[in-house]
Amino acid sequence: MSDDPGQSRRGPRGFTPDFLTELFRNPLDPGYADAAARLAKTGRAARSGWSVGPIGLVVVVLLGFLFAVAYRQTVAEEPGRAQARSGLVAQIKQRQGETDALSTRAEELREEVNRQREAALGGSHAARLRELEASTGLGRVRGDGVVVELADAPAGQDALSGTDAGPAQVIYLDLQSVANDLWGAGAEAIAINGQRLTSTSTIRSAGQAILVDFRPVTGPYEVSAIGPDGMRERYEASGSALTMRQVAKVTGVSFAVRDADDLTLPAAPEPRLRYAEPAVSPSVSSSGADESSGSGTSPSPSGGGR
Amino acid sequence: MIAVLALLAGVLLGLWLDPTVPAALQPYLPIAVVAALDAVFGGVRAKLDRIFDDKQFVVSFISNVLVAALIVYLGDQLGVGGQLSTGVVVVLGVRIFGNVAAIRRHLFRA
Repeated sequence: MSDDPGQSRRGPRGFTPDFLTELFRNPLDPGYADAAARLAKTGRAARSGWSVGPIGLVVVVLLGFLFAVAYRQTVAEEPGRAQARSGLVAQIKQRQGETDALSTRAEELREEVNRQREAALGGSHAARLRELEASTGLGRVRGDGVVVELADAPAGQDALSGTDAGPAQVIYLDLQSVANDLWGAGAEAIAINGQRLTSTSTIRSAGQAILVDFRPVTGPYEVSAIGPDGMRERYEASGSALTMRQVAKVTGVSFAVRDADDLTLPAAPEPRLRYAEPAVSPSVSSSGADESSGSGTSPSPSGGGR
Repeated sequence: MIAVLALLAGVLLGLWLDPTVPAALQPYLPIAVVAALDAVFGGVRAKLDRIFDDKQFVVSFISNVLVAALIVYLGDQLGVGGQLSTGVVVVLGVRIFGNVAAIRRHLFRA
């Protein structure tokens, strides 16, 4: 590349083939031919055999050195990458385990607190507290209701079309509208894949994942709701049910609504109030404390980004 | 023969010393290797053509490596990333192929 490749061919006609043609036709550095021509002119014969001059030798040693260094470098980088990867995977697994253990422990402690509190309060106060907890989503609830099942369409046969045009998927908006219409149909408690919804719950998407209260849920999705009799009929007539039926027909996403008896919905994690403070002293006797205004009504619709 | 021995000596030296490449120079290493390979195959072919020349070999090696590094650097600075180095690899790759084909014709008459 040190010389213009067309130079040696530049004849009196001034015709030079373009660079690529020249490159393909004559890949040898034209300098060699020039040097040979010079030598022939001065009458000295080119060196024969495999001997090279001292500078050439130094360069050859340098070449070998370069190859070795590059080889070492490439080899040295490889395990580093693999290690970093497996290290990260192990860390994720470990942290997930820790989180699971901690939430189990939190669950236990909450049970314990509840038991202690009930023992301390006793009687109607405890019952009222339980009721409030149930309606705000902080307490475990049981009852009959409706289960809405949504699932992504089965993997299509067109694996060629790439990742973007994969099978149709349930998106967070579907879950949002289903949850909202279930509230609308009179549900008193809703859980998505075992994640209880409260008045501050969010259903949103982060990349490919759907997050309910910042915890990922994966398909098939099961939205369970506890509510009065006839909730299923009311829900079936709602907007999201009609939309989802249509979507299911067109895209292959599966959607089903069924009655379910004796559902048990878990408690939602304790909400952390960071800015709001109870206006009155948080004793249970002050009726209708802060968060829930009346125990019968449903909390505000879930959804919307936080 | 001496050249081959020198190459081996260089390889052994590299393996024995095991120098660490500074992080700033790391992106240039692969392209420098390709440029060096081009110089080597050019030299071998010239040898077989009986027109080998020391000075030409040395100059082509050094300039190849420098120009290749410069192009990679330029690509980084211009923000076109690896695309300029792709150009280097294509040009040098074509030359290596051509020279290896010539060497093959010399050695096997085919």
